[in-house]
Amino acid sequence: MLELFKLLGNKRLFVILIGLVMFIALMGFTLGPRASLSWPEKFLRDTVGFAQNIFYKPAGYIAGLFKDIANMRDIYKENEELKIALAHYTRDKVKYNLMEEENKNLEEKLHFTNAQKERNNYTYHITQVVSVNSDTVNRSLVIDLGERDGIKVGQSVISSEGLVGVISHVSNFTSTVKLITTMDAKDPNSNGISATALDNHKVFGIIESYDEVSKTLQMTQIKEDDPIKVGDTIVSAGDPSKYPQGLIIGEVTKVQVSPFGKTKTATIKPAAEFQDWKLLFVVSQPEVPQ
Amino acid sequence: MVRKQVLILLLFVLFLLEGTIVPWLLPGSWQNVISPNLVLIVLLFVSVYHHRHTALVLGIIFGILHDVVFYGDMIGTYSFVMGVTAYIMGFIFRMPRAQMPVMMTVIILGSLLFDSLLYGIYRVFSLTAVPYNWNLLHHILPDLVVHFVFGLIIYVPLRKQLEKLGKRAKMEKAA
Repeated sequence: MLELFKLLGNKRLFVILIGLVMFIALMGFTLGPRASLSWPEKFLRDTVGFAQNIFYKPAGYIAGLFKDIANMRDIYKENEELKIALAHYTRDKVKYNLMEEENKNLEEKLHFTNAQKERNNYTYHITQVVSVNSDTVNRSLVIDLGERDGIKVGQSVISSEGLVGVISHVSNFTSTVKLITTMDAKDPNSNGISATALDNHKVFGIIESYDEVSKTLQMTQIKEDDPIKVGDTIVSAGDPSKYPQGLIIGEVTKVQVSPFGKTKTATIKPAAEFQDWKLLFVVSQPEVPQ
Repeated sequence: MVRKQVLILLLFVLFLLEGTIVPWLLPGSWQNVISPNLVLIVLLFVSVYHHRHTALVLGIIFGILHDVVFYGDMIGTYSFVMGVTAYIMGFIFRMPRAQMPVMMTVIILGSLLFDSLLYGIYRVFSLTAVPYNWNLLHHILPDLVVHFVFGLIIYVPLRKQLEKLGKRAKMEKAA
């Protein structure tokens, strides 16, 4: 009896150890960049995504209704502000059309190639959030656009306020968005955003980490004589392979000299709110011919 | 036998609710603080009132589901942590006739263990840089409260069903 118990006990230990090693291997294997998902993963994601879609949308509408009732008083004020914004917009639109036409003429005269002309011609795919990951470290969302709709890994996702995240994995009908709140300089998949200010393109820095405690993004590698100041709106500077140009990221709340001197570090409050997810936009850049 | 399938269905529905309805029920400012894992609480019940091996297998299956659907950094964290938590809790509290206070203790300890293990794994792979103290205060303890309340709500109906499930299994064994 004792022998049997010993054998069983050892076997259990053995199984536990094997399991532990297998899980660590699995985590290590999937941590690095992967070209694409295997078909069982895609199948599982699409099926669950379909089921989640049934729940998420109605819940959003009902929650939205209650919120609308609560916000009824603010609507009058908001409407007033929107009217002013609209007036600004129509004025700017005239200016913009003239400038665009002029720009096109100049491009023709300078013999721009097609690729150069199309470079900033982004398309915005509107998408519905299907579900939200509750994990506080690995923040991710599932959206209802996938490979079939031309979504690719690495495309940026924005809300109406600003940059939200990056597409991290794509299956046929759904894809996962990794939020910029998971940005970390040590992450093997991390890709920093080259950023500049909305009004002053002389500003340049790289955003590559998010501080969870203060809920802000850190912009590093800013030159000492950089004109960056508190209150600047920071936008992405544009990068042919990753982030498109001009996506709003946030507002500078603090600028300080970095611990090693020589460069400055800015603290940026993200423009997006990272809550009550509804509609998002996936920004896709025109194909760059190789 | 039907009860077993109902249990799996219940876990699946809870998994769906967790990602879709729960975020809407929480006030906006809490959405980034609390990460309730309702499936885990049901698994703890299964582990104590039914059998820890069943809970281990279910934990691994539903953990993998969570990992694949919300694939952010890596696969395997939830699967590992949920399986291990349910198993360890069932291993320590081997009492199928446990009363309510004992079960609530299991939920508290299980919730703490789950979130701490999760934090530990993310820390080892350096996906998070916040100190444990901060995490404990801002994520783990608020989570614990939600888990506790959810455990209280489902205690009576779930225990009844699980005990019937256990009796059925025993009768089959005797026959």
